[in-house]
Amino acid sequence: MKPAWFLFAALPLALPLAAHHSFNAEYDDTKPVTVTGTVTKVEWQNPHIWFFVDAKGTDGTVTHWAFSGGAPGQLMRRGINKDVIQPGMTIVVRGFRAKDGSNNGTGGTVTFPDGRMVFTAGAEDKLPETKK
Amino acid sequence: MRSFGPFLGAGAAVLAAALFTGLLVPARVHAQNAKIPRTSDGKPDFSGTFEWPKSIGGPTCKCSATIFDKSKFAPLKAGGEPFFEPRTGDPQHDEPRSFCMPAGFPSGMLSANAVQMVQNKNYLVIVHEFQRMTRIIPMDGRPHREGLEPMFYGDPVGHWEGDTLVVETTNFKRWGLDDYYYTDPKEYRMHSEALRTIEHIKWKDASTVSYQLTIDDPKVFAGAWTQDFEMKARPDWDKMGLFEYICEENNRCPGGKCKEP
Repeated sequence: MKPAWFLFAALPLALPLAAHHSFNAEYDDTKPVTVTGTVTKVEWQNPHIWFFVDAKGTDGTVTHWAFSGGAPGQLMRRGINKDVIQPGMTIVVRGFRAKDGSNNGTGGTVTFPDGRMVFTAGAEDKLPETKK
Repeated sequence: MRSFGPFLGAGAAVLAAALFTGLLVPARVHAQNAKIPRTSDGKPDFSGTFEWPKSIGGPTCKCSATIFDKSKFAPLKAGGEPFFEPRTGDPQHDEPRSFCMPAGFPSGMLSANAVQMVQNKNYLVIVHEFQRMTRIIPMDGRPHREGLEPMFYGDPVGHWEGDTLVVETTNFKRWGLDDYYYTDPKEYRMHSEALRTIEHIKWKDASTVSYQLTIDDPKVFAGAWTQDFEMKARPDWDKMGLFEYICEENNRCPGGKCKEP
């Protein structure tokens, strides 16, 4: 399947998405996160895809993050396949942090250096802020 | 198997008869009904892939999933089993799906994912992409099975009433009724083991299935209540087919305890 790029600006910004069946149990919607880094691994598996990002701080330290997206089937119905996010890419991820305080989160949107943005959230996850 | 041709002729004949006899039925309705997919034996054919049932009017959840309209609820039964159950803080109780436990029926049916139906003379099989919820509904006149333990998805049997398939499901496990819990934690809704559901499934037009669901839980409600939904046919999704959903494959944050990145 050919990937289809979903520009975030094309999404209905007032889309009232909120809690996935597991969102409230696992993530804190009062703790939005924005992480810029390099993709190190993608797990294209159920029940949610996971992509791993290394973010380098100003002091050179590297923080490992993991972000959860929708189920592979949900994403493929949007035209997003496993080739869209690949190791080595630099991306900006916006989402919400895990309740347990670990460096895990939902990855609601992913923005690439050329400005393209894909909607990677689960069908019922809360959406992060819409600004780029 | 879908066959349209023979019924276009039959529909035209019915329409002509209705007009001739002055029946006050809009001709458009007959034209639409004549075009619904049918099996070779003339029954409506629901085979295909659809969007999940969506409410007709009423409130919407702050999520993609469909929720029940509380204005449709029957009054709660005095002294009955509690419908609203507070969270306990234990995710095994509050959100068992986070541990890949089943959503159950009817909750899982309302999840925002694709639904495929496969039909032959004796069965309708409904497969929901979320958790691959699978319901095999006999339509050969058999009664409910007896002596079973309560189940997450109950024990369904179906029969035809004209062009409407009526599915009665019994023998449920006590479980969450819907996802409203996620919009208001004070209203975590539970049904009892006495739940009986009745679904009326029929084609509204050539691309829309009318899906009416009746909730009859005599331990919780003073009477049965009904809500109407619609399911849009998605031939494009049918070509893609359903995707696998194995929750246990990589559930990295069960109950909110995530693996380290």
